[in-house]
Amino acid sequence: MLPAFVMAHTPRNARVSSEAPTLRLGLVAVAIAALAGGCRGTRSEDPPVHLNPNMDFQERGEPQEENPFFADKRWMRKPPEGAVAVGLLKDDDHLYRGRNLDGTLADALPPSLKLDEKLLGRGETRFNIYCAPCHGASGHGNGPATRRGGGMQPPPADLHMKRLGPEPLGFFFHVISNGKGKMRSYKAQIPVEDRWAIAAWVRTLQQSHSTTPVAAAAPAAAGAAKGATP
Amino acid sequence: MPAIFPRWTNNVPIAIGLLAPLIGAGLIFIVWYWFSPSYTDVGYRPEQPVPYSHKLHAGDMGIDCRYCHNTVERAAHAAIPPTGTCMNCHDLVKTDSPRLKLVRESMASGESIPWVRVHQLPDYAYFNHSPHVAAGVGCATCHGRVDQMTVVEMVQPLSMGWCLDCHRDPKPNLRPLDEVTNMAWDVEKTPYDPDRDPMRKRKVNPPTHCSGCHR
Ligand code: HEC
Ligand code: HEC
Ligand code: HEC
Ligand code: HEC
Ligand code: HEC
Ligand code: HEC
Repeated sequence: MLPAFVMAHTPRNARVSSEAPTLRLGLVAVAIAALAGGCRGTRSEDPPVHLNPNMDFQERGEPQEENPFFADKRWMRKPPEGAVAVGLLKDDDHLYRGRNLDGTLADALPPSLKLDEKLLGRGETRFNIYCAPCHGASGHGNGPATRRGGGMQPPPADLHMKRLGPEPLGFFFHVISNGKGKMRSYKAQIPVEDRWAIAAWVRTLQQSHSTTPVAAAAPAAAGAAKGATP
Repeated sequence: MPAIFPRWTNNVPIAIGLLAPLIGAGLIFIVWYWFSPSYTDVGYRPEQPVPYSHKLHAGDMGIDCRYCHNTVERAAHAAIPPTGTCMNCHDLVKTDSPRLKLVRESMASGESIPWVRVHQLPDYAYFNHSPHVAAGVGCATCHGRVDQMTVVEMVQPLSMGWCLDCHRDPKPNLRPLDEVTNMAWDVEKTPYDPDRDPMRKRKVNPPTHCSGCHR
């Protein structure tokens, strides 16, 4: 902390001190005060002291704050079991569960989503955020998090493996939403539309790897479009 | 009759006249320097209950900020990840590390990990992440190079003056909308003009009136 202060202030010090001895004295006083009080940006593990607390902290719950009043110590209250907020019944089986009316996994995007460049772009970025750490940006199961700390047990699946090729689009939605095997659910982390966008992107990745790279784009779009027609 | 005041007291008014401004200036300096959030808040890096490192996870492994802080684009609050998010990976890797003991216990018991809050505005100020992220203000602009921090620390004062400095002239702090979580993005290396970005549908218009942030 001291070296940083001295370094930051040396040029100014040097220039002034040749001008007048009283100023030098003043600077020494400031330096002493600085040593006593510390400098800006000094690292500290103690909580900031605000000399005038004003109304900085009020009896107001903020997200994720602690509240000792409740048994679970949370300000954020869980709705009672079985409560449904208005408009959030989620009774659209296709959109929320990826299933057709007869309960089989759907092989199409829900009617409320349209397959276009925007959706696939969204799918790509979301895949890179939520899946790529484990499955890798290309989906081969070799993401950066698998190469550290002794590797994952079991390793993330290769999304290009034969078994996954014929699976319907809803299958990927289902895996993202509910997890499978040791892969945990991503329902809480990813909103439902984004999960569909990711599913469409997984299909695109699969298609792009099943043909030569040059011809990849067209069949990929067509393949995903196949899923789009209801 | 002897003088009530000895002769040296003649110098007192002069001394006061000379010293008072100096002392006044000194006091102002002390308040300006040591009472400001740049001194009281910047550099605050509390010890966390789990030795979680952003440098390892976000830096070395390159996990996107939104994998964990997943509400940052949608909500005012950038959620600190629940234990389940850690367990996505730590069910599969480092499953018996003693440093992750608290995480596993929290998973089993359902009790939250008591993370210590680093950034906190006073309750009378309103801040919302989503419009900032949507306008293309990078995380690094306000939080510094988190991907190089083993322990998160405050690098900006979060004072009203700091907010307003940007709100009055946001342009130099804007970046392409898809680079918001890219910690390494640098204006010097990739010149960027927000006015000519086709991805932007409108000009950003940050509030500088009081009720924008004190609502
Ligand atoms: C924490 C690492 C991790 C992340 C992140 C992850 N997965 Fe997985 N995934 C796994 C593991 C591990 C398996 C293998 C599970 C098993 O076999 O028990 C797997 C398996 C799968 C499978 C194959 C299931 C089967 O039938 O065998 C699919 C499809 C899949 N993941 C898709 C995704 C998608 C899409 C995402 C992004 C939303 C994602 N995963 C994110 C670790 C991960
Ligand atoms: C693997 C999950 C994970 C990722 C990825 C991650 N964070 Fe965090 N972050 C956490 C956890 C857990 C905490 C709380 C503990 C702490 O402060 O270290 C946290 C705390 C923070 C805080 C301080 C919050 C406070 O209390 O004020 C900031 C700021 C932050 N993260 C920014 C980022 C940025 C920017 C990125 C992207 C470069 C990022 N994080 C990526 C898990 C993550
Ligand atoms: C995308 C996968 C992933 C997620 C999510 C993740 N981690 Fe990790 N973490 C790893 C990997 C891989 C390692 C091992 C790195 C190494 O040793 O090189 C690790 C290492 C660690 C270590 C050091 C363990 C040791 O013994 O050295 C701690 C502590 C840790 N993580 C805490 C957390 C916490 C807390 C969270 C939740 C906020 C979290 N991690 C989320 C993948 C992840
Ligand atoms: C315009 C400046 C700004 C930007 C850009 C910004 N933050 Fe913040 N961040 C803040 C402020 C201010 C707080 C304190 C909020 C409070 O106390 O209510 C904060 C708090 C946080 C917290 C603690 C939880 C909370 O919301 O209080 C996390 C985590 C966090 N930021 C992560 C991020 C991530 C990740 C990004 C990039 C996607 C980001 N921030 C971008 C200013 C910013
Ligand atoms: C680095 C630049 C930057 C900093 C620092 C910054 N802001 Fe902003 N802020 C913006 C921009 C840009 C917008 C405009 C968004 C738009 O017009 O879409 C904005 C918008 C806002 C809004 C309006 C949101 C709405 O719902 O309309 C509020 C409130 C706000 N900021 C509060 C704050 C506070 C409080 C701080 C300080 C803790 C802060 N900002 C710091 C850039 C910044
Ligand atoms: C860009 C957002 C923003 C705007 C606009 C804004 N403020 Fe603030 N103001 C803040 C923040 C953030 C703080 C808390 C600063 C801190 O923690 O030191 C604050 C603090 C204050 C305080 C308390 C200072 C203290 O330490 O006691 C006052 C008084 C105040 N603002 C008045 C105003 C007035 C009057 C206006 C309109 C001219 C205004 N503010 C406009 C963000 C804003």
